[in-house]
Amino acid sequence: MKQNKEFDNILDECLERLLVRGETIEQCIQRYPEQAAQLKPLLETALAAKKASAIQPRAEFKARARYQFRSALQEAATPKRRPFFGWLPRWATVVTIVLIVLLAGGGTVAAASNSMPDSLLYPVKLATERVQLMLTPSQMGKIRLCARLADRRVAEIIYMADKGDVHQVELITQRLDERLATLAVLASALEAEEESPVLLAPSAEEAMPSAEDRGASDWANNRAELRVTVADYAASNQAALRAALEEVPEPVRAALLQAIAVSEAGYQEALEALD
Amino acid sequence: MQSEESLVRRAQNRDQEAFTQLYEEHFDKIYRYIALRIGNEAEAEDMTQQVFLNALQSISSFRWKGVPFSSWLFRIAHNQAVDYLRRKKRTAVPLDESVASNDNTPQVIAEQKLDIERLLSATQKLTDAQREVISLRFTSELSIAQVAEIMGKSQGAVKALQHSAIVALRRTLLVTENEAK
Repeated sequence: MKQNKEFDNILDECLERLLVRGETIEQCIQRYPEQAAQLKPLLETALAAKKASAIQPRAEFKARARYQFRSALQEAATPKRRPFFGWLPRWATVVTIVLIVLLAGGGTVAAASNSMPDSLLYPVKLATERVQLMLTPSQMGKIRLCARLADRRVAEIIYMADKGDVHQVELITQRLDERLATLAVLASALEAEEESPVLLAPSAEEAMPSAEDRGASDWANNRAELRVTVADYAASNQAALRAALEEVPEPVRAALLQAIAVSEAGYQEALEALD
Repeated sequence: MQSEESLVRRAQNRDQEAFTQLYEEHFDKIYRYIALRIGNEAEAEDMTQQVFLNALQSISSFRWKGVPFSSWLFRIAHNQAVDYLRRKKRTAVPLDESVASNDNTPQVIAEQKLDIERLLSATQKLTDAQREVISLRFTSELSIAQVAEIMGKSQGAVKALQHSAIVALRRTLLVTENEAK
């Protein structure tokens, strides 16, 4: 076992010399005369494998791909149409939502919370979510809310994918990406908050756990629970998106695959931040 | 010469020129990796495009953790390839126009194509993980550390996989050669 590991290291070093530093096979194996017989055929094979680096994309494909990428780049750089309520300053949005809640007795907002992107109430749902996020005081609370909102986005992606609406699937995927990125940023900030008490750690002579220690332990438990929650969302949403892939109309598959990739990368980043 | 980090930061701020530069630098490598990994030219083309569109959409979530930007791109490509391989059986890649012509003579290009054809056919007989390590190490020329990051394995595990992949590839190439004789 140890010998295998040693040989793996020797082989890797020779490959580095051969492929990166441009040494010849003879120069490489001179360093390891005992392993020369075993090394030589493997290094020859690695050189043969390197020939595949001559594979190039077809010129027509490259030109078409470059054109499409530049179009997407331009579209991304174009200022987006301001969303519903987007013309209002943030504080005014809060007031507007509170007024809606008061005037409509909460019914509109409640109805909006279940609306889908093809509904007239959907912009109210998004605005309500923004307000909820702003009004949530704790970082943990914000992270939990972000996880729930990301979950909603996935449900919306599947709903719109079923309807074959590529544009909406792409739009909501972008919102999902933003929500998961916010979750990861908030989780990273949690890390910073967690580290600061360590600098002020009490002396070792304090045998009994202090209130601060118990607080830290609760905090760690909450954080662990939070990670489990996000991991559950990640697993169920990945499974739901993949299952949907088998059902949706063909034209929407590429957009759904993109949603899967975004969701996978986003959840992974969020979970890493919570580790 | 601009550092990759500042280039990526500009791209994150929607600087089109910076993103185009990153695209041009990495496009061929990503294509090569996917083509060798999945063995289907048409799918490799679609997936390569998709990798860069995904990168464009999610670049704001990219964080510097001392790992090159290319590792992040390869990670997106890796995830897409895993999805694809779960769904479909592999088919051979048609090689027409898939080889760099440079200034080589038609005879050299023909020999190159034959070599690559043999190699591609041999790699399709490897396990997915072995094929991936061959693709990342020898055609994309990534370091062991980068390959480990992309595949989500330890460096020791990648070295062991690299060893077994070369042994398996050698065996397959020898069999193909003997059959051709």
